[in-house]
Amino acid sequence: MAQNAEHVLDHFELFRGPEYQQMLDNKKKMYENPRDPAEVERIREWAKTPEYREKNFAREALTVNPAKACQPLGAVFASVGFEGTLPFVHGSQGCVAYYRSHLSRHFKEPSSCVSSSMTEDAAVFGGLNNMIDGLANSYNMYKPRMIAVSTTCMAEVIGDDLNAFIKTSKEKGSVPAEFDVPFAHTPAFVGSHVTGYDNALKGILEHFWDGKAGTTPKLERTPNEKINFIGGFDGYTVGNLREIKRIFELMGIQYTILADNSDVLDTPTDGEFRMYDGGTTLEDAANAVHAKATISMQQWCTEKTLPFISDHGHEVVAFNYPVGVSATDEFLMALSRISGKDIPDKLARERGRLIDAMADSNAHIHGKKFAIYGDPDLCYGLAAFLLELGAEPIHVLSTNGNKAWEAKLRALFAGSSFGQNCHAYPGRDLWHMRSLLFTEPVDFLIGNTYGKYLERDTGTPLIRIGFPIFDRHHHHRYPVWGYQGSMNILVKILDAIFEDIDKKTNVAGKTDYSFDIIR
Amino acid sequence: MSSLSAAIQDVFNEPGCAKNANKSEAERKKGCTKQLQPGSAAGGCAFDGAKIALQPFTDVAHLVHGPIACEGNSWDNRGAASSGASIWRTGFTTDMNETDIVFGGEKRLYHAIREIVEKYNPTAIFVYQTCVPAMIGDDINAVCKAASQKFGKPVIPINSPGFVGPKSLGSKLAGEALLEHVIGTEEPDHTTPYDINLIGEYNLSGELWQVKPLFDELGIRILSCISGDGKYREVASSHRARAAMMVCSKAMINVARKMEERYGIPFFEGSFYGIQDSSDSLREIARLLVERGAPEDLIERTEAVIAREEARVWAAIEPYKPRFSGKRALLITGGVKSWSVVAALQEAGLELIGTSVKKSTKEDKERIKERMGQDAHMIEDMKPREMYKMLKDAKADIMLSGGKSQFVALKAAMPWLDINQERYHAYMGYVGMVKLVEEIDKALFNPMWEQLRRSAPWDDTANNRQLKAIAQTDALAAEIAADPALADTTRRAKKICFCKEVNLGTIEDAIRSHGLTSIEAVRRHTDAVGGCCKRRIEDILVAMPVSSPPAMLQAAE
Repeated sequence: MAQNAEHVLDHFELFRGPEYQQMLDNKKKMYENPRDPAEVERIREWAKTPEYREKNFAREALTVNPAKACQPLGAVFASVGFEGTLPFVHGSQGCVAYYRSHLSRHFKEPSSCVSSSMTEDAAVFGGLNNMIDGLANSYNMYKPRMIAVSTTCMAEVIGDDLNAFIKTSKEKGSVPAEFDVPFAHTPAFVGSHVTGYDNALKGILEHFWDGKAGTTPKLERTPNEKINFIGGFDGYTVGNLREIKRIFELMGIQYTILADNSDVLDTPTDGEFRMYDGGTTLEDAANAVHAKATISMQQWCTEKTLPFISDHGHEVVAFNYPVGVSATDEFLMALSRISGKDIPDKLARERGRLIDAMADSNAHIHGKKFAIYGDPDLCYGLAAFLLELGAEPIHVLSTNGNKAWEAKLRALFAGSSFGQNCHAYPGRDLWHMRSLLFTEPVDFLIGNTYGKYLERDTGTPLIRIGFPIFDRHHHHRYPVWGYQGSMNILVKILDAIFEDIDKKTNVAGKTDYSFDIIR
Repeated sequence: MSSLSAAIQDVFNEPGCAKNANKSEAERKKGCTKQLQPGSAAGGCAFDGAKIALQPFTDVAHLVHGPIACEGNSWDNRGAASSGASIWRTGFTTDMNETDIVFGGEKRLYHAIREIVEKYNPTAIFVYQTCVPAMIGDDINAVCKAASQKFGKPVIPINSPGFVGPKSLGSKLAGEALLEHVIGTEEPDHTTPYDINLIGEYNLSGELWQVKPLFDELGIRILSCISGDGKYREVASSHRARAAMMVCSKAMINVARKMEERYGIPFFEGSFYGIQDSSDSLREIARLLVERGAPEDLIERTEAVIAREEARVWAAIEPYKPRFSGKRALLITGGVKSWSVVAALQEAGLELIGTSVKKSTKEDKERIKERMGQDAHMIEDMKPREMYKMLKDAKADIMLSGGKSQFVALKAAMPWLDINQERYHAYMGYVGMVKLVEEIDKALFNPMWEQLRRSAPWDDTANNRQLKAIAQTDALAAEIAADPALADTTRRAKKICFCKEVNLGTIEDAIRSHGLTSIEAVRRHTDAVGGCCKRRIEDILVAMPVSSPPAMLQAAE
């Protein structure tokens, strides 16, 4: 036996042992209806051809390897950004387990979130009882300051009315009448996690600003000098929000970060379990209505929230995940314009350093071809930065991108001589990306952890930027916004370029004449 | 006199080096090139010079005898490419400690050599002396000799500790070590009438390999390359070559000249940077070989290859012409490369508006004038601020330079391309020129320079650093222009001799009052060394009217 108690082998070593290999071979031969290896090889090669790509892109019903997640995930992500808030997903508990594991695997943090655990009965008779019991239990067990309700498909399909259910629950004493229970309908069959983020955030603001479901008077706006900030669904929320706070403080701007989940998704290990940590206070959430302006870093994460805010009488500005010099310039200029504050020298220096770094390394990035996939705003921000660096974002694919997104990217490409061969692919999946990478190869792929299969199949080196990143740790702690954050993106890209050069020159005695110390 | 100081004196007497040949006996004793100025930024030391000159020998173990400083900061720091052995890249050092310094490091060195022989068994071992063991009196020559005998393997002392002088001296001392201990110690398996040596070629980024196929095609054999992709045996038997080419630099001129003297191998100084230079070099090699007895048809065959390659490279550059039209470039680099790439860049359609002549000879300058016209900016030692202004005023689109000038270029917000040694791309030979043009194209059209040129959107003019710096320089220039006396003071304050800090005014006064006509005379009447400033003094002598002492002075006498 390869395995023994004296020296326990891990799985990647163990199953390479002869007896396991034999076992697996036998199973394949006897039970797995093996195909002719030559035929398998032929199909494999065929799947790399333009002919196959055409068939692949003609796909109508089937999505293969989607690069998006569902609405409630985004709702949970937004909800935990409020002080003492417990996300409560009305629907089946299995879904909720997914959101928790998804967030935990990315942020390496516990993720607290409950469901109303609807079962077959509830599906038939409606989920009111689950809501009543669920709110009561979670209120008593987890002592939240607020419970933010969202929904899974199950509740949406049967048409549960959250407003009425919550009202009834309060009447039945599940939670005190004055206890905050904002809600949002977040069916997975509409949109994606970015939509869920949007809906949940809007639901929470609506709750505080518009009279808490008819139980209090609507807030009257008395303008102040504050600026509200919305990050959107963002895998780098921990590092990014901290960076943004630093920038606001450097500029001397009073601000409210809405849905500030940077603490709860990064709690210290010091002997205390923090189910809730940090977050936007409920008071601040309510007072946000008085602000001078609201800035959203992700247009497609706030498509409904921003018009809602705008209707309440203050200016809204949206960006598309600003990364790089120009995009950060625009962001800071907007802050400066709205607040009337100057850009401090410290930020000007950071800008100079980023440009310096770009100048030092430009020759290596210049003309390199990239494929990018991910959330719509992230794709846009990265593509813009690559163009700024003289690289070509040849394929930009977003499963949850729409026609408007495509048009916006087209305009971006048209504005740069490096964008002439670039295309945006809205609504496509990673199996489409596979065909793109085979038929129009690029130098590097930018995407989340799932990109590693594409990297393996197509040999295109993967640069992990996006959500989720499961197989690399702690990248979410570093910002990718601001000049310093852009620097982190630049370094990630450069690292990949240099690792690729090393990989191509590391065969001893064959290619290592270029395996150099200085690059 | 120790063997080290004898070697240094010998190098200073090098007749092949025009600079040294023009020095007085006393100055030659003082040293080669620029005296190092305490307190000012300086380049590498003699050890570094020796190490980088020899490190590209690939099958040699390079053992640095000294504390960790010397090898710790320098091992494998050069992208010379090897076609075979890789031991040259392994960092060997004796890593001397306090005890060694108290009791002497010779034993440790001997053991280190033994361990290299036992564990790696390389073809040869080069032992580099450094400051500390030299100061405590470790005799590496004796240790190497003993080790050589004991292990039956060449163990070569490279006696060039850092304190003896600058990098260029170290390169020459390394050459001396080769001449003394290596060259001529072995015989080649066979010889051909087409055997050549390349001296001072380091095969950076594999550049040599871009040219070698042409040699192969012509049947010309590189018997030995010193030292790029070099093998110990090759250099040991390099004395059987029929001709030699000294590539690009004068760093190893002593090797080329002494090999001519000792073994009758004629050499020429050539370069493979630029199309014309590549062709000239191939022609010269063919001519020398035929002179030494190779069949006459070599010349014809060479011409055919040249014609083909030139046609090819011009064709490859052609498509860039429209893209480069109207683009202006500044070339800031030392010596030969300045003018040798000029033709290619001009052919590609770039307008060259200036080049550096800091390390260029008089002939180089003539060539530059020939190719770029009389009005070409020739940039000599320039203060960063002046350079900055010049870059800014010249409105160049790109600056091609070695690493050092990049910072000024960047601060002047100008695209910049590295064409000196620590670069990633190989620009040698015909192919290399195409690569260079390609890289220039990329650099010119990289969108990030836009960010560099554009100031931050929140910057108003009053607060712009670049504009401020320029305004300052401009104000100074205006002040000078308005005040002839100040203008003259400023002009006369220009440093001519950097070593002894002698300014233009002092030299002019001396020339005028004593009617001087030669460098030697200027030297006698001023503190000017006349070494690195020789050419500048020459220029002053030419510019000043040949005058007898002024009448007044004559009257006084």
